Amino acid sequence: MFKFILRRSMGAVITLFLIGTVTFFLFLSGPSDYASLACGKDCSPARIESIRHAMGLDLPLFQQWWDFMSGIVMGRDFPTGHCSAPCLGVSYSSNELVWDTVVDRMPLTLSLTVGGLVVFLFIGLAAGMIAAYKKGTAVDKFATGASTVLSSFQIYLLGPLALLLFVWSTGWFENPKYYPFLENPFLWLAGLWIPILVMSTIFTAQYTRMARSELVQQLQEEHVRTARAKGMSKKYVFFRYAWRGSLIPILTVIGIDISSLLSGGVVTELTFSLHGLGRLAVDGATTKDLPLTMGVMLVSAFFILICNMVTDILYAYVDPRIRLS
Amino acid sequence: MRTFNKRTTRAIVVALAAGSLALTGCSSNDGGSKGESKAKTQDEAKKQQKPVQYADAAASNGPAAPVKGAKAGGTIKAYSETDLTHMDPGQIYVSDAGLWANLVHRGLTNFQEDADGNLTVVGDLATDSGKSSDDGKTWTYTLKEGLEDENGNPINSADVRHTIERQYAEFIFDGPTYLQTWLSGADYRKDLPDGGFKKKHLPDSVLETPDDKTIIFHFEKPQLDVPQMLTMPGYALVPEETDTKEKYDKKPVATGPYKIAEFKPGKSLKLVRNDKWKAESDPVRNAYPDAWEFEIGITGPTQTQRLIADQGDDKNAIQFTGSVDAPQIPKVVRDKKLRSRTVEGYQPYVWQLNFNLDRVKNKKVRDAITIGINAEAVLALDGGSYAGDPAPNYFAPTLPGYKADYDPYGRLKNPKGDVAKAKELLKDVPAEDKKIVYAYRNNELGQKQKATIESSLTSLGLDVVAKEVEAASFYEQIGKVDNPYDVYMTGWGQDWPSPSTVVTPVYDPSQLQDGSPNYSHIRDEKVQQLIDKALGQKPEEAAATWQEAHEYLLEEINPGAPLYYTKQLQLFGSNIGGARYSVESSYINVNDLFLKS
Repeated sequence: MFKFILRRSMGAVITLFLIGTVTFFLFLSGPSDYASLACGKDCSPARIESIRHAMGLDLPLFQQWWDFMSGIVMGRDFPTGHCSAPCLGVSYSSNELVWDTVVDRMPLTLSLTVGGLVVFLFIGLAAGMIAAYKKGTAVDKFATGASTVLSSFQIYLLGPLALLLFVWSTGWFENPKYYPFLENPFLWLAGLWIPILVMSTIFTAQYTRMARSELVQQLQEEHVRTARAKGMSKKYVFFRYAWRGSLIPILTVIGIDISSLLSGGVVTELTFSLHGLGRLAVDGATTKDLPLTMGVMLVSAFFILICNMVTDILYAYVDPRIRLS
Repeated sequence: MRTFNKRTTRAIVVALAAGSLALTGCSSNDGGSKGESKAKTQDEAKKQQKPVQYADAAASNGPAAPVKGAKAGGTIKAYSETDLTHMDPGQIYVSDAGLWANLVHRGLTNFQEDADGNLTVVGDLATDSGKSSDDGKTWTYTLKEGLEDENGNPINSADVRHTIERQYAEFIFDGPTYLQTWLSGADYRKDLPDGGFKKKHLPDSVLETPDDKTIIFHFEKPQLDVPQMLTMPGYALVPEETDTKEKYDKKPVATGPYKIAEFKPGKSLKLVRNDKWKAESDPVRNAYPDAWEFEIGITGPTQTQRLIADQGDDKNAIQFTGSVDAPQIPKVVRDKKLRSRTVEGYQPYVWQLNFNLDRVKNKKVRDAITIGINAEAVLALDGGSYAGDPAPNYFAPTLPGYKADYDPYGRLKNPKGDVAKAKELLKDVPAEDKKIVYAYRNNELGQKQKATIESSLTSLGLDVVAKEVEAASFYEQIGKVDNPYDVYMTGWGQDWPSPSTVVTPVYDPSQLQDGSPNYSHIRDEKVQQLIDKALGQKPEEAAATWQEAHEYLLEEINPGAPLYYTKQLQLFGSNIGGARYSVESSYINVNDLFLKS
């Protein structure tokens, strides 16, 4: 296991290095003149040159790349002060350290991800299991039908509707807001339950359908039929054989979904006026803020790699046939 | 007073507000409301055109005139779609940040606005609005007693000297340049490249601080607008001891009633009371709430929805500089309860389609475009009749000297454009002169304008080539004297109620250089003479000269087709008291706001 983690960690570092390098050169090879973009009203050629120098954009491209990449490990000095490792640079638009901004936005994204995960795994998988267990009954038909309908809803539709219903029309609840979980879990939940529920709706529907379909398929497998023929109870076979067998594809999708949620549920954040990594990524891209974009991208890539690694480890636990080697 | 932020915000609002045109400009059921709105905003505009009074020491004492029924305490929430551009006063020029600056920063003078919208320049940090001598070439200010910054450091004349001198440094690039230019000429930076940080100062013949309390400005020419110019947030005080240069933009030191408690760029900003601020020294700010919480990144539609709903904390909230979302305007103006929670009025901006005179040399082409362009359609993209009015000339309704009926190109008669007349003008124009390269911003509003303007110009028989320009660097690109474009949209508003802050920056040939707002590249001698003449005259004489310059510019040169004036309509929560439109800021008056309970 240790070897596996070590090997995957090294691979992750190389992947991050490549992502950072490719993104950096792609961004800087574009037509935008970042010094001009950052220049204000009194934008004389001399002023642009001065900004270019302050941003380090007058240095050779390779030097700029090296400064950025080495700064992640060793830190860097800027005219506005020292940036400790992991230094992701200084935002062109806000002049803030990108790492500080990412750290500030991370808890909201983590909250939405974890909250959403709990909801859509519990409700979605449970509904799928019940539908599969009761295949062909009214319960199955209801679960299948509801998941089909719900999976066609989008956050930008459900979000405003939920706000209208629970906040704007009735005043039952406050506008969604992030409160630190560790400071007050109840406030945290009160502030985020609407976005979590809305964001989870589509995922819940998808997981219901996926769990049902995987379980139905597993229940038709020969080893399951054999177990039943041997006299094992339906419930025992369902959980011990069919459910376990269906977990691998579900785990794969969960891994992908978590990593995409961690890299930013941008639509959720924009719909509910919340500030997480997703909105930060959009801000970085629209303002052509290279350090901000790079920072969010690298942090997101890091989470994706971690999720992939954890998923691979879980495969081995779920299915002993899978060898980590 | 450029409008990048405001326009960017509005661009997004308009983008989100598909169909706004039909709901505002073309709705047939809101004629009454529209008429009422127009009358109300024109009344406000008349107030804004009134000559500004200069106050003496007695009128410059605090506290500010109390608002009836007001009480102190609580937290006002302010919604904003975009971040503040700057917090360092020296860098503040756009009106969004300027409104915020009034809560945190204080300058030598400020505008005091009474309940009827009458403006008076009063001493803010200074004892009065200023004493002039030597025919307006010398201005003397004395600091009030007992002033302190948020750290408890006394404010003295050295701090004012520092505030002025740091504007000469390279790191200050976004603020106003009036004072520096008046003191040291257009190339002012070379006089003090270190901005006074290395103990080299401007000579006493320019800026004099004979004692701890006195500041004397010496100008080469008479400068009669000094008291108004010094009201600009860009000239608010930066205490010398705590100036951190570039870093100051992130954490400035307060001299006003509030100081920064927490700032998260792009997300939130919290202001709390600055206990070193003394109400008795301040004739302008009532500062009733204990704190302000800015929520940044709240889109225009969401701001409007929240304030219409008026639930929970939203009762204590205002739209800081945003407008009511265009598609929701009819709902707001037709509902009496909602309407009672709005402020509205003209803004100082005039949007025009600038002609690059170096390239569009044929005046017939410029006149034809001015006559034939569909200004109403362009205005509709920005929100329609609630967001502005077609503009017949370059002076906004808020500017002294505004003439509502001065319409040499028939804009008011034909807001959709007189295509036949324009075509007639273009009849004998050579084909090569009919090719027009139109630069537009690559944001939502810019792209919509592109479609409308391109279509309108094409209908006149012009050969239009539309060129996309990155929105963030649009003004920088068109600000190049040697730019490759023929026409482009720009907006400008007065910096204080004087035509000198419109005609001089935008049309002064002597200021033509890369980055200057003389986007049409005017090099006309007569314009120069008229500007020089007006700047040396007393206000009542200057008014006629400015009008002469205005008419000469529009009729004889025609450097841009005036398209529309902008208006503001803002919502606030039901627990907000003291809300009224500020004719000075063109936004809700933040100085008098309080929470009712």
